Amino acid sequence: MNVSLNWLSSYIDLEGLGTQEMADMLTFAGIEVEGIQERGVTTDLVVVAQVMEKTPVEGSDHLNVCMVDAGEGALRQIVCGAQNYKVGDKVPCALPGAVLPGGWEIKDGKLRGVESRGMLCSASELGLPDKEHGLWILPQEYAVGTPVRSFVPTDTIFELEITPNRPDLLSHWGMARELAGITGRTLKQDPAEQPTAAIQTRPAGDYITLSAPEICPFYTATRISGVKIGPSPAWLADRLVSIGLRPINNVVDITNYCLFELGHPLHAFDAARLTGGLNIRRAAEGENFTSLMNEQYSLTPEDIVISDASGAALALGGVMGGLDSGVTEATTDIVLESAWFLRSNIRFTSRRLALGSDSSYRFERGTSPWNVLRAAARAVELILECAGGTAEPVLVGGQAPCLVPEENATNATVLEQGTEGKIYYALDQVQLDWKELDVMTNASVPHLEAARILRQLGLREIDGKGTWDCPPWRLDLKRSCDLLEEVVRVYGIDNIPATNTSIYVEESAYDRASDYRMALSRKLAGAGFWEAQTFKLIAAESIDPTIASVEHALPIKPLMEGDIIRVSLPISEDHSTLRPSLAPGLISVAARNMNQGLEVLRFFECGRVFRNTGGGKGKDIENEVLGIFMAGKLNPASWADTKPGEAHFEHLRAVLDILVPKAEISLVPAKMARETAAVGADIQINNQACGYMARIALSTCRTLGLPMESYYAELDLRKLQQVATAPFKAADLPQFPGSGRDASLDVPAGTRNADIVKAIQAAKQKLLVSYQLKDVFCDPSGEKLAADRKAMTYTFLYRDAKKTLTAPEVDAAHKQVLDTLAARVKELKFR
Amino acid sequence: MKERIASVQAEALERIAGIADMKALEDARVGILGKKGSLTQVQQGMRDVPKEEKPAVGALLNEARAAITAALDNRRNELQKQLDAAAVAGVDFTMPGAALPTGGLHPISIVRDEAVRILRRMGFTLSDGPEIEDEWHCFDALNTPDDHPARNEKDTFYFDSGKLLRTQTSTVQARTMEKQAPPVRIICPGSAFRRDAIDATHLSAFNQIEGLYVDKNVSVGDLKGTLEYMLKALFGSDTAVRFRPHFFPFTEPSFEIDVLLQAAGQAPRWIEIAGCGMVNPAVFEAIDRETGKQLYSGCTGFAFGIGLERLAMIRWGIRDIRLLIENDVRFLAQFQ
Repeated sequence: MNVSLNWLSSYIDLEGLGTQEMADMLTFAGIEVEGIQERGVTTDLVVVAQVMEKTPVEGSDHLNVCMVDAGEGALRQIVCGAQNYKVGDKVPCALPGAVLPGGWEIKDGKLRGVESRGMLCSASELGLPDKEHGLWILPQEYAVGTPVRSFVPTDTIFELEITPNRPDLLSHWGMARELAGITGRTLKQDPAEQPTAAIQTRPAGDYITLSAPEICPFYTATRISGVKIGPSPAWLADRLVSIGLRPINNVVDITNYCLFELGHPLHAFDAARLTGGLNIRRAAEGENFTSLMNEQYSLTPEDIVISDASGAALALGGVMGGLDSGVTEATTDIVLESAWFLRSNIRFTSRRLALGSDSSYRFERGTSPWNVLRAAARAVELILECAGGTAEPVLVGGQAPCLVPEENATNATVLEQGTEGKIYYALDQVQLDWKELDVMTNASVPHLEAARILRQLGLREIDGKGTWDCPPWRLDLKRSCDLLEEVVRVYGIDNIPATNTSIYVEESAYDRASDYRMALSRKLAGAGFWEAQTFKLIAAESIDPTIASVEHALPIKPLMEGDIIRVSLPISEDHSTLRPSLAPGLISVAARNMNQGLEVLRFFECGRVFRNTGGGKGKDIENEVLGIFMAGKLNPASWADTKPGEAHFEHLRAVLDILVPKAEISLVPAKMARETAAVGADIQINNQACGYMARIALSTCRTLGLPMESYYAELDLRKLQQVATAPFKAADLPQFPGSGRDASLDVPAGTRNADIVKAIQAAKQKLLVSYQLKDVFCDPSGEKLAADRKAMTYTFLYRDAKKTLTAPEVDAAHKQVLDTLAARVKELKFR
Repeated sequence: MKERIASVQAEALERIAGIADMKALEDARVGILGKKGSLTQVQQGMRDVPKEEKPAVGALLNEARAAITAALDNRRNELQKQLDAAAVAGVDFTMPGAALPTGGLHPISIVRDEAVRILRRMGFTLSDGPEIEDEWHCFDALNTPDDHPARNEKDTFYFDSGKLLRTQTSTVQARTMEKQAPPVRIICPGSAFRRDAIDATHLSAFNQIEGLYVDKNVSVGDLKGTLEYMLKALFGSDTAVRFRPHFFPFTEPSFEIDVLLQAAGQAPRWIEIAGCGMVNPAVFEAIDRETGKQLYSGCTGFAFGIGLERLAMIRWGIRDIRLLIENDVRFLAQFQ
């Protein structure tokens, strides 16, 4: 909301406050200052000047050189690019040394080589709303040399962001009242008080029918006859312009003015367009409404409409007037609406129709029923003053909703408004617990001071026992904590001493998980992997082939239709699906970086993945996983290594070993190919399924522009953590030397490492402490080894913990292992 | 005999002096002092030396052997020196290194870890909750009325199941208090989601760190002291911090916290960094109603939330939030 300092100053004494002090004061009242605009000029160096001569500048199609009389005796030469003035016009002239809004200092200079000693100004250059395009043509009655500031008052406009709990601040009077409450500065006359006391009211009788009292329980209408529609007086139009509104005509301007003065929205109907009385009802399903902006809307029963005996929807209650019922130049009689609507309905309507207005903005945040008659009375006063006519008494339909619970109502202070058909408004009462204040502030706020703050904000203690009447404009004060907030806010948190208590808190499982995750991340970073953080909302499978490839590679439990979780109303298909794997994100990170020329593509991410356990009908589960992507060169090329090797399966496999070095990791290839070109395997750590590893389908790689082998592994972080952080005891170093033996196995090419390992384990040789695959040899030419065979050389280490083994003992143990191998591995020969 | 010794010694010393490599030196040692070496052969002539001359000839022989051995050692040392010098002669220490693969942590991880470490030092422990939430934990428990704008399909991602993606990590406040009796002193770093279009300052999925302390007699002073401590630890001990009154449904009073940012060459300015406040009693009541236990009546507490992207952007002067999700290594490499 824009607030004009001049307007505000008519309600509160702000003498001696600078702009920055004002901004600080608002900030610490909890009102965010989003912008400050200085209007007009404070310098005497901007004066009225008359254009005496005007000749085009040679070689320019728009510049003129003017001789102007700025009241200095001699004429002044100024080059000007505007087009809207003629010789004899009076315009503002900024003399050298003048500083215009925005800190722009005017100096003597040259334009196109022509000397220019000053600047002729537009309104916007003086920080004022532009009235026409080009120079600001001033009335002839101003004498040349008169400082412009003598007839253009300066103003400061604050753009304020009001939090949704404080709708009472959405007006100049409301803001002035708040500032007075906070600072103790003097509040001037309430502009609505006198007119409200003077206004006549009558029960509306048949004239107002409240067909939906649950959403509009209270409606007033005031007929004013014989008004003369015309432009608003300058003071009123200026105020509206200053906060960015466009004046329309006196009656409409006054309804807007009252909204920004008192905070309550009003609407004026042309009485000639109304048939009989008013009916405030829910809209029919599909009912049409044409707004005063000539837009068509289809309504629902959640919307509230103002209609008349004709049944037509004349206005969308609380949101916007209709096309045909508003005030025009031809209007002579008006009916002025001031009413109270339930905020949730206004919000619903305004959001559903994407139709907002200054009125709906206030109604949906909450308006005080107490303000209904005040706004009407103030508007009537101004209309009679500015547009003439005769006002009938205000017709009152229904009653201001009582805002206190019924059980308190007997003790409640009840405000009365009007003469006949009176309006009653019960004040909210809040019980303040001083002990709570002491706890909250460590007893640093004296109770007397707290009570003074509350009184200054308009509350009244009624019984000496902590029961306070809340002022009728404060809809947000309902409970003790609301009052404590006010005390702390005004007393200032700066004045409450900071304390720092800490209690013993046991380390949680989440603490350990976080520690493990960081340790793991650092380990991977040290191993040359970049941590990525990819977006949790990914593209739908239909438009992103990476998801399809992941689906095929997911081996632990293949995804069923519906397992992937989609949001109901995505912003775009690019971000519509909760990732079931980190693979799509990491793959696109790799592709992106490859396009930037990166040759070593190593990325990892720790984060959540999501899936439904039963095709959309089961539970939604969220798992913390580690995703690792690897492709491209093993290290960047350099003079020392001009042709670095390519990353293959075994390099990612090696990374798994450094993650859990003491665990037994085995990859169990998927039984069925899950996609023709992809290879996938389950990762088992200590015989527990823990994730999967895949070579990404070549077709997918090509689509994504990754023309190299690309590998991906995804591991369950919790299971990894369990294995990696399991407690252990350090073993003693071996006391006796071990002995090594090699064996070169000649096996069919299809024999897998796992088959050999299984056979070695089956030997259960107690003296065998470790074994390792040292070399694999194939010869496709068949010269050194048949083409359908391969040689796998393993090295075995034997040791006894209690003695040094003799050669025959080692040989015997080795023979037992080799015999088991020969018995269990098909077509095995020793070389 | 004496002449032979003298001539063998002279010959040997001359030979040693002319040797240019280790192999020749070793050959010379064998050729002179070895079993069939020239000096060894002379030594065999001792048998024929008259008894009375033996001591003198023996002494001569020993001298010769010592001199030759010393010469060999000297020559070896000289040669080794030359070899050592030659070994580093071509080395250019100004050459660039070979290239190892580099890696590093994401800036969000770095700020999250830093904030977590500071808060754990202050006695907070981590907690967590699901990102796919229900309306109760996201809104009802947090005193957010039915007609609040956040509870709208336009602002929040809903699922057909009626669940939603949590709009703030404050859901973990409710999740933790349901499970645990006071005192509660937790933090929760995690993702939150809002239905915002992605631009230079907005992401529809972003990271926050949530904090909650509930006990008997927790005060505004505790809130202030805790957050001042944390922000000074994050931004430096001379960081100015201010609390601006604000509004959140789940806290009352509520504040936004600004830190005074002093960038070189710029006027200092206040930057919003976090939201906080005293837990609204309505939140405690909602938890107690839901659990059917009166664990939280009579408690007070404070809560706070910090945006991690914002923290990173302020810390490193990052202008476009999208850099944080693009994972371009040219960006990531700056945070090693």
